[in-house]
Amino acid sequence: MPPAISIKNLTKFYRNRFKALDNLQLSVEPGQFFGFLGPNGAGKTTTIGVMTGLANYQQGEALIFGKDVRRDYRQTRAMIGLVPQEFNFDPFLSAEQILTYEAGYFGVDRQEAKKRAEHWLKFFDLWEKRKHDYKRLSGGMKRRLLIARALMHDPRILILDEPTAGVDLELRYHLWSFLKELNSKGKTIFLTTHYIEEAEKLCTHVGVVHQGRVVAQEAMGTLIHRLHRDFVELTLKTPVFEFPGRVREGAVTILDGGKRLSFEEKPGMVNQVLQLLHGKGIEIEKVDVRRPKLEDAFLTLTAKTGSTACDQ
Amino acid sequence: MRSMTGFITLVRREIVRFTCVFTQTIFPPVVSSCLYIFIFGFSLGGRIETVQGVPYLVFLVPGLIMMHVIESAYANTSSSLFISRWANNIEELLVTPLSYLEMVAAILIGGLARSLVVVSGVYAASLCFVRFMPAHPAVMFYFVVIVSLIFSAAGMITALFAEEFEHLSLITTFVITPLIFLGGVFHSITMVPAPLRWVTNFNPIFYMINGMRYGMIGQSDVPVTACAAVVLVLFTGFLALTVYLFRIGFKLRK
Repeated sequence: MPPAISIKNLTKFYRNRFKALDNLQLSVEPGQFFGFLGPNGAGKTTTIGVMTGLANYQQGEALIFGKDVRRDYRQTRAMIGLVPQEFNFDPFLSAEQILTYEAGYFGVDRQEAKKRAEHWLKFFDLWEKRKHDYKRLSGGMKRRLLIARALMHDPRILILDEPTAGVDLELRYHLWSFLKELNSKGKTIFLTTHYIEEAEKLCTHVGVVHQGRVVAQEAMGTLIHRLHRDFVELTLKTPVFEFPGRVREGAVTILDGGKRLSFEEKPGMVNQVLQLLHGKGIEIEKVDVRRPKLEDAFLTLTAKTGSTACDQ
Repeated sequence: MRSMTGFITLVRREIVRFTCVFTQTIFPPVVSSCLYIFIFGFSLGGRIETVQGVPYLVFLVPGLIMMHVIESAYANTSSSLFISRWANNIEELLVTPLSYLEMVAAILIGGLARSLVVVSGVYAASLCFVRFMPAHPAVMFYFVVIVSLIFSAAGMITALFAEEFEHLSLITTFVITPLIFLGGVFHSITMVPAPLRWVTNFNPIFYMINGMRYGMIGQSDVPVTACAAVVLVLFTGFLALTVYLFRIGFKLRK
């Protein structure tokens, strides 16, 4: 089976000549829960725009299940359900109509569209509000309606652009478990989010985009452990304001006003740090080992720039 | 054969859009037509016995109908598409598997539907003042349909270029309305001075009004075949441009 998403050498300039995507490469296999991460303006939404037909591009190729998003645009769009970042509902329609019309645009007949709308409205707890126009819904309800709309034609790929932005914690947890369940049933999910924790909890694979280029793309655990070892955290009996000496293998970070020290566990590093502290008579109260997080990898990758980053 | 469900859904949505605000979209042209007939027909018409061999009131009605066909079609598509761009729900449409031709055709049919409803309303209202049956119903229908589609396409093109709501009304005020009034809604070309008569030949709406007049009362200032050809050429050009703009995503895609 061809990749669910395959993007090669994608380059996009905006009218002001800003290079939004710079030879971007990306591949997402069917059934993956793929997190697409990057700082603001890195090119996440533009990449989604190219895949869904909302953005033009100058160079490269984007394929959805082997079909070209330009040449075979009708087939590629039929396979994608998009949950955009901004609310973009039809202002003339009620919540129920928004769903039934959406299904209709994708070729679902009216009776079936009504059934599906009822299902999703009930599922997302919007049934009571079905006759309301979207402006009368709360932010969380609008967010749920966006997701319901994207699912009306049962797409093979669900693309979510910041789906939990501005959503309260309870709803966020609900959405997380719902998305995990969808993915477990085989749906390919492509997610962009600012909440690194969200990506870490949900995604099986992750890609990091920075300045229009994908600087890393691999399985979640592999990426984190490729870039970081475990972190050692020392809690001191008396605070230090400056680390007493130099360690060849890496940097020691002072945390909590000098009460804690943190460093990556590299060969020989623990020994050197302990010796230095012991030499200065600094006593250690507690030693913790912290597993590296996606956030650590993200910060490492996005601190680098352009071609010096680890292009895949 | 591919399913037409998507296309039909979009047509339905376009029709729902203008019918749910019918007090703004259907009633005003009917009311204004009654006023035009009442004021122009009775006050001015009292001083003109016949034009092209028919009573002035009868002469007036086809022009009024064509005026409202043009205004309704243009207003429908320009507002529909511009609001969609403004509210960003055009994205909802652009991510669907509808072809660009289907998108354009569905929006045009929305404009045509509104024109047909308005034409029926204006014609029915005119029957309160003057009774006559269309002389050539097929010709009348041809002009209503093709002119509706031309101005539906013009409305879409304007909506794509427009940056603000004002731009839509600027075209109405400074282009469409003057061309309608100078195109012979209220007068025959034989009633104006020779230089203006010459200029009128370059006004496309002149051919639309005369084609409509031929369809309704069997009289026209120019041969109906010329009128039919002019509107067909215009329709082809406007349709091609609209589909092209959609295909390249002009002000639709980033």
